Amino acid sequence: MTATPLLPRNAPFLPEDIELLNKVVARTTPQQRSWLAGFFAGFEAAQGGGLAQAVPAAKPRAPLTILYASESGNSEALATKAKKAAQKHGLDAKVYDMADADMALLAKAKNILVFAATWGEGDPPARAADFYETLMSDAAPRIDGVRFAVLALGDTAYAQFCATGKAIDQRFEELGGVRTFDRVDLDLDFAKKAAEWTEGALAKLAPEDTAAAGGTVVHVDFGGAFPQADDDEPKYSAEQPLEAEISALVNLNGSGSTRETWHAEFAFEDPAFTYKPGDAIGLMPENDPALVDELLQTVGLGSDAALLLKLQKSYDVTTLSRALVENYAKLTGRDDVKALLEGEAYPKFASDRQLLDLFLAYPEKLTPDQLTGLLRPLPGRLYSVASSLKAHPGEAHLLVGAVRWQSHGRDRKGVSSIYLGERRKIGQTARIYVKPNRHFRLPADGHTPIIMIGAGTGVAPYRAFIEERVADGAKGKSWLFFGERNFTNDFLYQLEWQDYLASGDLTRIDVAFSRDQPEKIYVQHRLWERRAELNAWLQDGAHIYVCGDEKGMAKDVDAMLVKILAEPLHGDEDAARVRLKELTKAGRYQRDVY
Amino acid sequence: MTDKRSKNEIIKEHSHQLRGTLAEGLLKVETGAIAEDDQQLIKFHGSYIQDDRDVRGERGKKKLEKAYSFMIRLRIPGGVVTAKQWIGLDTIASTYANGTMRLTTRETFQFHGVIKSNLKRTMQSFHNICLDTLAACGDVNRNVMTAANPYLSKAHQKAYDLGKAISEHLLPRTGAYHEIWLEGEKVEDASRPAKKDEEPIYGVHYLPRKFKVVVAVPPDNDVDIYAHDLGFIAVVEKGEVVGWNVTVGGGMGMTHGDVNTFPRTADLLGFCTPEQAIAVAEQVVTVQRDWGNRENRARARLKYTIEDRGLDNFRDEVEKRLGFKLGAPRPFTFTGTGDKIGWRQTLDAKKASEKMWHLTLFVENGRIKDKPGYALRSALREIAELGICSFVCTANQNVILANVNAKAKAKIEAIFAAHGVSLDVSSGLRRNAMSCVALPTCGLALAEAERFLPDLVTALEESLDRAGLNDDDIVIRMTGCPNGCARPYLAEIGLVGRNPGLYNLYLGAAFNGSRLSKLYAQDVDKQRIVSLLEPLFISYSKEREDGEHFGDFAIRSGVVAPTPAGNQFHADVKLV
Repeated sequence: MTATPLLPRNAPFLPEDIELLNKVVARTTPQQRSWLAGFFAGFEAAQGGGLAQAVPAAKPRAPLTILYASESGNSEALATKAKKAAQKHGLDAKVYDMADADMALLAKAKNILVFAATWGEGDPPARAADFYETLMSDAAPRIDGVRFAVLALGDTAYAQFCATGKAIDQRFEELGGVRTFDRVDLDLDFAKKAAEWTEGALAKLAPEDTAAAGGTVVHVDFGGAFPQADDDEPKYSAEQPLEAEISALVNLNGSGSTRETWHAEFAFEDPAFTYKPGDAIGLMPENDPALVDELLQTVGLGSDAALLLKLQKSYDVTTLSRALVENYAKLTGRDDVKALLEGEAYPKFASDRQLLDLFLAYPEKLTPDQLTGLLRPLPGRLYSVASSLKAHPGEAHLLVGAVRWQSHGRDRKGVSSIYLGERRKIGQTARIYVKPNRHFRLPADGHTPIIMIGAGTGVAPYRAFIEERVADGAKGKSWLFFGERNFTNDFLYQLEWQDYLASGDLTRIDVAFSRDQPEKIYVQHRLWERRAELNAWLQDGAHIYVCGDEKGMAKDVDAMLVKILAEPLHGDEDAARVRLKELTKAGRYQRDVY
Repeated sequence: MTDKRSKNEIIKEHSHQLRGTLAEGLLKVETGAIAEDDQQLIKFHGSYIQDDRDVRGERGKKKLEKAYSFMIRLRIPGGVVTAKQWIGLDTIASTYANGTMRLTTRETFQFHGVIKSNLKRTMQSFHNICLDTLAACGDVNRNVMTAANPYLSKAHQKAYDLGKAISEHLLPRTGAYHEIWLEGEKVEDASRPAKKDEEPIYGVHYLPRKFKVVVAVPPDNDVDIYAHDLGFIAVVEKGEVVGWNVTVGGGMGMTHGDVNTFPRTADLLGFCTPEQAIAVAEQVVTVQRDWGNRENRARARLKYTIEDRGLDNFRDEVEKRLGFKLGAPRPFTFTGTGDKIGWRQTLDAKKASEKMWHLTLFVENGRIKDKPGYALRSALREIAELGICSFVCTANQNVILANVNAKAKAKIEAIFAAHGVSLDVSSGLRRNAMSCVALPTCGLALAEAERFLPDLVTALEESLDRAGLNDDDIVIRMTGCPNGCARPYLAEIGLVGRNPGLYNLYLGAAFNGSRLSKLYAQDVDKQRIVSLLEPLFISYSKEREDGEHFGDFAIRSGVVAPTPAGNQFHADVKLV
């Protein structure tokens, strides 16, 4: 079928006019459309306005530099969407990852749109760290007159909410930039608000009056304007997850383990639910009904079954944030709650406490609306997918570490992991979605050796990697470094690794079990023991992957890789760091840390 | 020509004197196991691969291999360890093993639950306290037992000295143990042919089967001499050992349902002088090396060699190799196999000041661990740290705190009291109870033993109370399989596992360990065991003759037929 050139909904006409015009245009032949084009162009020329010949021709457009700092891919996705939206605002946008950008880019820019995520305790995403540091230093260039707008992403569960975005926003102003649109700081439920903000920011950054420019032919980017399926945009999202059946659910740790790690298999029929090894799968959890019930009792809403269900499924009922306490103080007018926001009182109170603790400490009766008004939507939780779709068509496997701890005299349970581990059974369903991660990908060339370093649930993507390579018939060498607490009970997927070693699909394995002997042995110690071979593998072009806990492992592995790379460089760790950065830029050192 | 030799013979032959691929196997980090052939070879190094049978069912579902770990058995001739060594062993128990020390039925320790990645460190830790595990298992001379407590008398010291000398004389000479466990990467090139001259006594094939030696000092038969391949019985005149009666051909193991296999009490071979003893031991071993059955491991022990070839032929061959004749056995008497629980003084010191004290501590099933309210392991460690005694493991799974100064007695008693450890035992039956480890670690176990016997004894104590026999010494022993680690066929009440919860009940063995028992009931559970034994206890209590033991009573009253020799074990069985 030939495409009909229908006017897009965002064409500069009233919606009803667009409809009328499309009715006509839909019946036109190419000849008729050419005639129309010539007619209007000739008419405009005769009136002496606009452009004499060019059809279609654009008036000079403004450049836009979109910069993002992304850890899990959210900022990156927003930046990509903004680039598309920018077209219709008369902006020629280029998107840059801060990981690949330098200061010269800022100096050249005219309009800058920033999407910046904050990671952990107020840090910039790891890949953006260098850029961020330089920006904050004296080496940053002046950007006098450059127009900018910043969108900050964060998580109100952390004290330094959106710190990175806030700092960049302030820094751009200090460097002479002109804030064209006010910054917005968004929580985990950012999707809708981010879209609105982007529209607003683009409209402000856009060249004056493009849409109203009377008598000019508006440049139409047919490629972008026609509605079409977006390859990068998953069909299922946090807002629209897929209901998948749980076909397997097993705690992989042996009896007597100090760990609890659930292997869950989700089965689905929609072929549109696709993912690649390295991607994350989001799980939309439900709150513990017992906890919700206690919460409702505490605020005097104990008998409201409908409300209980609503909170269980849709609201974050555990996270305590400063904003929430502020709102609670306003709502209740309590001075003691207000006092929590003064000085160091808040972080001290919030440390290892949850919403229920606030209500228990400062109890007030609330109406259902007052309660839900305090809460943010329940966010999904992301897990690196542990399977290859090629090996398991119609399935996605997750490896979920159960989170349980005690604080302030209460047993606490991870919202998502315990939902899965305790309250889901085989045969029931759960809501999942895909979160692509193009920064954690197998090498395009199946012959490239891979070195996979992971601790605990960090081993998940490597199971997907090896499954994918087996399915692809990829013959490249592979080497797994796995760390956990105890060999006997915590060797996740042990039998599978044994099979892969036997078949040659996994070339080597090294393991570090920290609690099997008096001294702690971690994966970085094994890396050091194998440094000669590791350097040889890198010489052969190996890609290195690190997956797992940043504080508990990835940081130490990173430092150890510097030491190992320094060995053939006569111990020069600065040179080794440069080498590691080169590997990062070349996509040969990829991290998926949390 | 087909090779009819058993698989183990081939494994030994190709092992390059017990090296196999053990060193390489330790480097395979993805598995807690070792290669199949190496699983046989590692026994010679004092270790068995095992797995936690309690969790076998869940492992595959969890994508985990079996929960493998290693049992490590020490070689401690005579069971004697210093206080310093005790502290070292206690530390190893919590650092690398499952937090317990297991006294075996052969005067040594076993450590359970050592994972492969810790094997080498554990072996090195033993080495650091001057202990080793070489030949504690395998087709070699195992740990040599001697009459408990060398410090008890001069004769006991001589018995210990002989046992220690035999253990060292018959130790494998291969460098494999040092190369694999102690030195690191220097394992001999596995491609070279095995050197026969590396093992002047054992050769390339070692022995056809395990070989056990004990040394006894009458009237105590605590070492259970009739259950062993080779025994020496001290002949004491005026306090001096003037020579040894030699016994051969005892052994416990049999196979359920195979009457060609049977437990056997040892025969008296003759008498030798103290100077001849080592040579006698060596030549008994070499004859068994050359005559033993290498085709059928179930019939490869010395007891079958003697059964098949005859005692006289065997003696002739030993004497031929010795180059001298053995003397006629001297008279001796054994009174019992049990330990004398409680304090005891040195028997033969001349001066009162030299009379040291020795405390035999009852250890249920030999398991040294801390339980709530009963911190046995901590108590023993605390005592060891005082450095006021030596420790002697007994053949009855107990431990003796030996050579205690009279002044230190109270201190030891106070430490035990503070840790909730009573020096008394609840009954004469429990005092004489013994079991093997069985489930969950032993791969051979068909039923529980260590985890079940204490409960069974408790149940039987009620029957004994009713019969008024609470304080009478009655020997009860239980094993989880017919191989007989706890020597059940020499117990007055013997229980041998057949299926989970079901045991064969044997009665009629002699209290002094000189006569085997007879099968009385098959596949009986706990309730049935109690209901079968209670009426026997009552009639024993009423009808026994003066000083008559329960096993002898069972024969006299016709409960079971006597078993005068091993080859009569399966004869005259009348099941209830």
